[in-house]
Amino acid sequence: MSRNIIAVIFTPLFLLLVIYPLVALLFRLESNGIARTLVDPFFWDSVKNTIVAAAFAAAMGLLLAIGFGYLHLFQKNTFIYKIANLMNDLPIALPHTVAGLALLLAFGRNAFGFVGNTGLAFTIIAVILAMFFVSYPLAARTLASGVEKIEKEVIDVARTLGDTPTKAYLRIALPNLGEALFSGFVLAFSRSLSEFAAVIMFGGNVPGKTQVLASYVFTKVEEGELEMAVTASAFCVVLSLLTVSILGLRRLRYAKN
Amino acid sequence: MLKIDKLCKQYNNQPVLNQVSLDMGPKISVIIGLNGSGKSTLLKVVAGIVEPDSGTVYIDRQDITALDPEERKIGYVPQHPALFNHLTALENMRYCLKNGRGSEKILDRYVEMLGLKDILTKKPRTLSGGFKSRVSLVRSLASQPKVMLLDEPLSDIDVAVKEKLLPEFKKVLKDMGIPTLYVTHDPWEASLLGDNFYAMVKGKITEINSADDAFDIIKASYNIKSSVS
Repeated sequence: MSRNIIAVIFTPLFLLLVIYPLVALLFRLESNGIARTLVDPFFWDSVKNTIVAAAFAAAMGLLLAIGFGYLHLFQKNTFIYKIANLMNDLPIALPHTVAGLALLLAFGRNAFGFVGNTGLAFTIIAVILAMFFVSYPLAARTLASGVEKIEKEVIDVARTLGDTPTKAYLRIALPNLGEALFSGFVLAFSRSLSEFAAVIMFGGNVPGKTQVLASYVFTKVEEGELEMAVTASAFCVVLSLLTVSILGLRRLRYAKN
Repeated sequence: MLKIDKLCKQYNNQPVLNQVSLDMGPKISVIIGLNGSGKSTLLKVVAGIVEPDSGTVYIDRQDITALDPEERKIGYVPQHPALFNHLTALENMRYCLKNGRGSEKILDRYVEMLGLKDILTKKPRTLSGGFKSRVSLVRSLASQPKVMLLDEPLSDIDVAVKEKLLPEFKKVLKDMGIPTLYVTHDPWEASLLGDNFYAMVKGKITEINSADDAFDIIKASYNIKSSVS
């Protein structure tokens, strides 16, 4: 017993604090709520907005992360790398309402009034940018740890064979970063799926236009439609589990190889 | 020709290279030293991978100290073969051609000399240690470098295979006819390969007559007494 003391403490706490809330949510599912949610066009719009915006945000995050990976490999002593590395931790500490407000001020009416009455705010682009802002650091960190695993001598040899740092990164490092690229995309996508605060601050909560699953659930709770909120939440749980399972399976396959 | 003039390098205020000077023609020069003596750092400085604190490196009388590795035309074979795992053996060896270097003719010649014809389409992960080392060597030679640097390229290979590989390596390096700097901690390996020899101790380099002399210099420097009377 004393040898398993950590497991004995961990198991009930994990079940109570992590699994139980999810089970409690799923047990509140009702057929009436499911039926009403599934015929609600705004629900399907929010599903579409969530998936499309998260995919774009993750793709953008991955592209920028590839750039960060380059700095991590070749330019660790530069000012821009040090700032970029520091900023990777920022979204963890920063309230996402603050991130949303920052985006609103940067790309809203005052700075980007020329693109429309509200600038980029309250458009699907705003939703994408908000998701990108909070998810990019995950992709960047994943790419950086992938770069760490590349044997430095492989890059050194490529350089002596005539590769510039850019060529060595694109031809030698990137093809060996498949796992990190995949994980970075899936993690950024998963994080984007779950974003609420930054999205609602900058993208708003316009049904059919900028409403995402997280804000749909929020709206339904506010309207007192708990059964519909529970159905949408259960959908979110399934979607999230599906995404993290893909990641888990891929990691398992990679570990076997 | 390779000339190294008073190279110095420190890490954390500890000298790793201390006024290292060498003048080499188209021969195989072997540097013998213990781990941490500075021999790998010396090769990395010559290859342009590590920047020296002071000193100069010349190839054919041209100062290359400030050049990037890709501008130096130096062949570098590191301790581990460091092959590009996503490419086949042939793609590894042809890699320099993508950068407009080397020639197919030289590549074919060394593929033939080292018996690599049967493994051309194989990925590095499926090759034995001996073949990985051969591919790594040909990959660098195919770029027609002006100088070859080999950093204990056979350290991962067991003695029986090494005994077979060393004459092959010597034959190919001699055929290339360029200054070659080969680093090892093993006097036996050095004696099989080298034309002339250097001992490296605590960042300082000394020319010696034979590989066996390296032992005496190293022992004297570290005050090691021989257990054999």
